[in-house]
Amino acid sequence: MTDQAEESALPRFDRRLFDGTEPATRMGDGPVGGKAAGLIRIRDTLASAFPGASPDFEVSIPTMSVATAEHFDRFVEENRLEEVAFSGEPDEVIARAFQDGDLPVDMVGDLRALSDGIHAPLAVRSSSLLEDALERPFAGVYATKMIPNNQPEPDARFRKLAEAVKLVFASTFFRGAQAYRATVEAGPGEEKMAVLLQEVVGRRHGDRYYPDISGVARSYGFYRFGSARPEDGVVLLALGLGKTIVDGGVSWTYSPAHPRASAPFTSTADLLKSTQTEFWAVNMGKPPAYDPVRETEYLVKSSLVEAEKDGTLHFTASTWNTASDRLVAGTGVNGPRVLTFAPLLVHDQYPLNGLVKSLLSACEKAAGGPVEIEFAATLDPRRDPALRLGLLQVRPMVVSTELVDVAASVRPGWRVFLSSDHVMGNGIVEGIRDVVYLPPGRFEASQSRAAAAEIAARNRALLGEGRPYVLIGFGRWGSADPWLGVPVVWGDVAGAKVLVEASRPERGIEMSQGSHFFHNISSFGVSCFSLPQEGPGTLDWAWLESRPAVAETAFVRHVRLSAPLRVEVDGRAGRGIIWRREEET
Amino acid sequence: MKSAFNPFEMAQSQFDKSADILGLDGATRELLRWPLREFHFGIPVHMDDGGVKVFRGFRVQHNDARGPSKGGIRFHPQETIDTVRALAMWMTWKCSVVDIPLGGAKGGVICDPHNLSAREQEQICRGWVRQISRNVGSAVDVPAPDVMTTPQHMLWMLDEFEVIRGAREPGFITGKPVGMGGSLGRTEATGYGLVFALREALRLLGLKVDKTLASVQGFGNVAQYAIRLYLKLGGKVIAVSSWDQADQTAYCFRNETGVDPDALLGITDRFGGIDKEKAAKLGYEILPGDAWIEQNVDILIPSALENQVTGETARKIKDRVKVIAEGANGPTTPEADKVIQERGIFVLPDFLANAGGVTCSYFEQVQSNMNYFWEQDEVLGKLDVKMTSAFHAVADLAKKQKLYMRDAAYVIAVSRVAKACHDRGWV
Repeated sequence: MTDQAEESALPRFDRRLFDGTEPATRMGDGPVGGKAAGLIRIRDTLASAFPGASPDFEVSIPTMSVATAEHFDRFVEENRLEEVAFSGEPDEVIARAFQDGDLPVDMVGDLRALSDGIHAPLAVRSSSLLEDALERPFAGVYATKMIPNNQPEPDARFRKLAEAVKLVFASTFFRGAQAYRATVEAGPGEEKMAVLLQEVVGRRHGDRYYPDISGVARSYGFYRFGSARPEDGVVLLALGLGKTIVDGGVSWTYSPAHPRASAPFTSTADLLKSTQTEFWAVNMGKPPAYDPVRETEYLVKSSLVEAEKDGTLHFTASTWNTASDRLVAGTGVNGPRVLTFAPLLVHDQYPLNGLVKSLLSACEKAAGGPVEIEFAATLDPRRDPALRLGLLQVRPMVVSTELVDVAASVRPGWRVFLSSDHVMGNGIVEGIRDVVYLPPGRFEASQSRAAAAEIAARNRALLGEGRPYVLIGFGRWGSADPWLGVPVVWGDVAGAKVLVEASRPERGIEMSQGSHFFHNISSFGVSCFSLPQEGPGTLDWAWLESRPAVAETAFVRHVRLSAPLRVEVDGRAGRGIIWRREEET
Repeated sequence: MKSAFNPFEMAQSQFDKSADILGLDGATRELLRWPLREFHFGIPVHMDDGGVKVFRGFRVQHNDARGPSKGGIRFHPQETIDTVRALAMWMTWKCSVVDIPLGGAKGGVICDPHNLSAREQEQICRGWVRQISRNVGSAVDVPAPDVMTTPQHMLWMLDEFEVIRGAREPGFITGKPVGMGGSLGRTEATGYGLVFALREALRLLGLKVDKTLASVQGFGNVAQYAIRLYLKLGGKVIAVSSWDQADQTAYCFRNETGVDPDALLGITDRFGGIDKEKAAKLGYEILPGDAWIEQNVDILIPSALENQVTGETARKIKDRVKVIAEGANGPTTPEADKVIQERGIFVLPDFLANAGGVTCSYFEQVQSNMNYFWEQDEVLGKLDVKMTSAFHAVADLAKKQKLYMRDAAYVIAVSRVAKACHDRGWV
């Protein structure tokens, strides 16, 4: 079913969101975009997978209304924004120009009615038409804005809602989004944007509003976990808003087939360093500084101390008993809290993992192939049922099933340039002759933002020339925290066919293994090689540094080889090798 | 001998009909059949030729039980007190049907601005305010532009009022220019408001806008903005009529492929008349003025003058027509109403369909009182919500009580005002 057909399947917004009879409605007559279409398609599946009320849990799609893409067209046209949209100006300039535009007259009535009627937080999300048309993921490409929507004045709520919608519209033309579209060979004017206005799953705790758990689950994962197989999938959990996971922050990763398996940490201290210590929430308190073009204007980052006060660690944390150097599930004893989700995953206090597995299985069946889902859940024992899970997104995954064997460490005529046992992706890629990397002698974590900008510029140049490349850096690609890695967005690196995360001796950062860009990586056949500080894996820095540079900036070096590389990744074993020709000495 | 048409008698008879449906008591009927207050005064003006001329001015406040009175000021050589009374009463119902906290009023001066210099017009405006200043104001009665009065006239009146009061009082009057206390969206408000109501009517009837055709009488402000929004929603206008000042008659401009309002606006004179020759070159057929009503369309939008859809012309309406959306005041005669009702055509009655203007005037007054002005999308969003809920209130009642839409609108409007009078203990 096309999303135009999906549109007609949705009833019109009757100007009541939460107390209306329809959980999903539309504003306007145009197409609804990929994100909305995915949720609409899955509605019936959910109804048949979870028939009737369960005493243990509730699964639903949060109440939503989709402002269809016709409004986007009209907004851009009536406010004459095409010129600035394609001007190549910085994102902020584009965003501010869009803020100055007036929303289409036939849209504002519905938004106004929505603002009049509800006082609860709203997520304003993009729902791209290309995402649906190309059957490609556009994860993290466009803006999502959460607004508290709790101002006493409906005028103020309307203003903030309108600002958020305009930001989502503007993000269609942000640099990263344009670069991303170039990689999928979509023309500059082809993208159109519907906007999803959705209830935020969560509970209010003083000035914070957030879900107890947010998660991303994939029914197929090239991610190694003890005895877990790729088809067992992978789940990432975090406390608070899902932004932690989407931004590539620290989350709890496990295999849904083995939820009780110990995480691969060498010591409790290591675990303490490598688990989530901060979480995102919607700021329901004092208004922040006015900044309508910032996605996080109304978000606040809080520590686990605050979460404990809110009572949201009870089912999500373990406690480190320093005397015995053991982790105890829950918060019954004093000690440092560690977000392991053990009360749920190990002790089954509520059937979260079972629910996620059932959801994955139902969505996979409906999609006819592997899927990625995003969800958020609240856990309140005073309510019945206590566990309420909201499905936020369903995307089909593009998975390579090519069988690759990289067991051999010798290949006549070739030498190993890079190898790792922590590789995500699958398949063989040939023909890459460009390598862009951060020279180890020059890179400083404090300069990672500047490095990100240089990488983006190189990416644009290589994309323009149609040259795929290997990108090598330190720490987690795409981390929002510049101290953990290089804070690029997907559009900044979208031309890379291989991402390499190297570690530096002085910083023991857990690699992302491509989790931030997972969806893009799997769809575009990109591989992600991680080289942890300890463990097997090599990178021939000396050879790389000896290659002459075709371009060199403060933090980035670009070399072009005379003979192409060969990339082999065995997704099942999580192993990969990048070979270089012997004659390339 | 047949007596001349008296609009006030017509307004009273319309009120009587709804009072009967509502079963209003005698005292309430008596109160609402007549204006609460009337002011008649002379305005002496020193003319440019050195003489002094006294102009007759009026202000009629029909009812202010629901809030300060609201209504325009007309400059017209044939102005009569009965016209002003009728218009004041209709303003009461209009404000009530869209549920804004205002009553109804109307004012006027017997004069023809075409024959007056700007200085003389300014003297009339200032004189009108001097005579009535004690009985108007943002909490009492709020004037606005109307026939042959402009934002400039409003500014002169405001200035005089502020001189008398010794303070800035931008909420005294509406229709001011943007930047001088006016509201964004005011220009579009009446036409857009009509289409908001029309959009809801089409949804109710199960018609998709992009499958409909419309024919419009008039090409003034209301018609132009109604056409623009209707086109944005996907509809197609195939005929527009306009008055030709030189020929002293109206013409209808038809284009089966769709009317382009921008192109027509480019060949329109200062009286709102479309140039026939240029229109023909653009591919428009030039038809007699009343041909707009005979078009094979789904929607008719009379947005020009009163008494245009009569018992006689109503018979020319094609079977395809499903909706008549009245942009003008009083375009349909009671005889035509009978025909339309019998044929089951859905009517958006004038004082509901064109209430977007007064609703936006109310927004302007609110903004002026706060001295804080909204963005255009904020104004139009509120307007849409107001018009949509007003439409549904009327349509629900019409369905529930099996009433003709015009009667349902009257019943709602009159009942709200009657209730306010009762609640205040007046009757």
